[in-house]
Amino acid sequence: MLDSLLSLGGLVLLRDSVEWEGRSLLKALVKKSALCGEQVHILGCEVSEEEFREGFDSDINNRLVYHDFFRDPLNWSKTEEALPGGPLGALRAICKRTDPGPVTIALDSLSWLLLHLPCTTLCQALHAVSHQDACPGDSSPVGKVSVLGLLHEELHGPGPVGALSSLAQTEVTLGGTKGQASAHILCRRPRQRPTDQTQWFSILPDFSLDLQEGPSVESQPYSDPHIPPVDPTTHLTFNLHLSKKEREAKDSLILPFQFSSEKQQALLRPRPGQATSHIFYEPDAYDDLDQEDPDDDLDI
Amino acid sequence: MAAVATCGSGAGTTGSAVATASKSNVTSFQRRGPRASGTNDSGPRLVSIAGTRPSVRNGQLLVSTGLPALDQLLGGGLAIGTVLLIEEDKYNIYSPLLFKCFLAEGIVNGHTLLVASAKEDPANILQELPAPLLDDNSKKEFDEDVYNHKTPESNIKMKIAWRYQLLPKMEIGPVSSRFGHYYDASKRIPQELIEASNWHGFFLPEKISSTLKVEPCSLTPGYIKLLQFIQNIIYEEGFDGSNPQKKQRNVLRIGIQNLGSPLWGDDICCAENGSNSHSLTKFLYVLRGLLRTSLSACIITMPTHLIQNKTIIARVTNLSDTVIGLESFIGSERETNPLYKDYHGLIHIRQIPRLNNLICDESDVKDLAFKLKRKLFTIERLHLPPDLSDTVSRSSKQDLAESTKRLGPGCGMMAGGKKHLDF
Repeated sequence: MLDSLLSLGGLVLLRDSVEWEGRSLLKALVKKSALCGEQVHILGCEVSEEEFREGFDSDINNRLVYHDFFRDPLNWSKTEEALPGGPLGALRAICKRTDPGPVTIALDSLSWLLLHLPCTTLCQALHAVSHQDACPGDSSPVGKVSVLGLLHEELHGPGPVGALSSLAQTEVTLGGTKGQASAHILCRRPRQRPTDQTQWFSILPDFSLDLQEGPSVESQPYSDPHIPPVDPTTHLTFNLHLSKKEREAKDSLILPFQFSSEKQQALLRPRPGQATSHIFYEPDAYDDLDQEDPDDDLDI
Repeated sequence: MAAVATCGSGAGTTGSAVATASKSNVTSFQRRGPRASGTNDSGPRLVSIAGTRPSVRNGQLLVSTGLPALDQLLGGGLAIGTVLLIEEDKYNIYSPLLFKCFLAEGIVNGHTLLVASAKEDPANILQELPAPLLDDNSKKEFDEDVYNHKTPESNIKMKIAWRYQLLPKMEIGPVSSRFGHYYDASKRIPQELIEASNWHGFFLPEKISSTLKVEPCSLTPGYIKLLQFIQNIIYEEGFDGSNPQKKQRNVLRIGIQNLGSPLWGDDICCAENGSNSHSLTKFLYVLRGLLRTSLSACIITMPTHLIQNKTIIARVTNLSDTVIGLESFIGSERETNPLYKDYHGLIHIRQIPRLNNLICDESDVKDLAFKLKRKLFTIERLHLPPDLSDTVSRSSKQDLAESTKRLGPGCGMMAGGKKHLDF
């Protein structure tokens, strides 16, 4: 499922930490979408352009459109090539493009943007970008937009992380054990239950994705080890079990208020407006159905 | 002479005296009937608006929330002029359904709708409303949905106590065709119903340009715009009685989705002590003032699980009238707990208002769970097993669930001595 992350569109949040870094996964996904022929835009804020492009082949490098905000984030050099409006202006400019193909935007990183911009503005911009294909407007049908955002979990409190994950369509949390990286993928589709999945992977030196089976996991004891499961009926002085014959006898026993299946059907069928009430009487074995009045014998 | 004098003086004063004199009645008592003069009614006449009914307890005018089970829990319905706040569940799956049922109820009853959202276009929200189950088909489908689920197992269980099979899981009052409808969550509302209805939409990204400079004001600009929009609609369409409505009086149903999320420009979900931490509470205060002076009812869904500062949640609860919290089991350990296997989540009724009253209409059922079957959203009483531990206190349901897990080995372990059942 890791390789089909971008097919869903929307915001994909890559949450990494110090032990399990996410930039290599980001670059692997960027390479995959570039090879698929999509347009790829990179907003580089945290590392320099040379460092980001390192490891990519030349044809991939030619397909990437790189917007550099690392070298001159506040536009002090006032050159012509700097995009107005900062990173958010660049995002909006990408959205206003007119060609219809699918677009992948990689934000490296969202943490940098969160530290430099107010969280609400960033959330509104991300929502506008990732839901652009939903509202048609008057422009030509625009292709699907996927936004890949790299977020360093440890830099932020639960507030911004919670706000961004509620906006995200897919959330990938990186973790792992014993040198093997894993990605826990949580997919939120709009009206359905979220699905989650854990995928073990590794990134090869040329930034292609290698999906693997997980390492052998020793089974965790689920039950509490202090209390062994004890059958409560073993040491009792009376018998709680029923043998097969006893169970048959129990089932065939006629209870005093047992009713027949006709009565059951009649009662359970919902009746609209009961005007009269019915008396169901089933004669017992000892009943004497004599219509005569026993008082007739009296001689008064 | 005296009679002529009184007639003369009467003509100068009030109209009723003239009427009395002209009618030549013996008595001056006059039956107060429907006035043909067309002036606005000033008398205590019961307003008969479609889709509303007076509460049997305190006479407030109530509208249905769209779910008859929820109406029952709130004491008959939602009072006009109040706010229903729904605290969203974690993945926002079930609260949109309640929101849409409220709006669909408005369309079915012919009320005017006002839908405000920062996430989705209101036109798209209206397209996804559930279809109403009208007339007798509704009761039949509802019953068979319930019975299909229940009868095979209950036949096995209830051999002796068979009369309890008929007891409904939740007492539902009589659903008349004019108040409270059932909705089919798997079907969409027919298009002609939407087109026949009168609705106004407020989609925040359209109303606010993205490069708006934030003025140092106490309310976020998104909230200010929304309040102005609501006030305009109330004034123009006469819900507050300012313009005398020529047509039949109607109710305005306001629905605000995801209030307080960062998409509204409010940062209470992002930071603990943001710059505008009073923005939401002021919004609710002004909104409630607008609602109290007009014939409208409002539903708000709010992602309270994202709000960082817990005091804001307490203030928001106090500023709303009715507060319901949804807690879904997805992702929590309760999902695999066998006690909760039939249900999708819990409903907590956090607050019920006291309107012109000293007491409020609490229902006696406090443990409620909901489940979304393929078609219907049902709310049922949650039955938990009795607490057989030594301690008598029933502090939380989690303790109960854990004590039942421990009950098995606890019975047999006499030497362990933890739990001891003596016969």
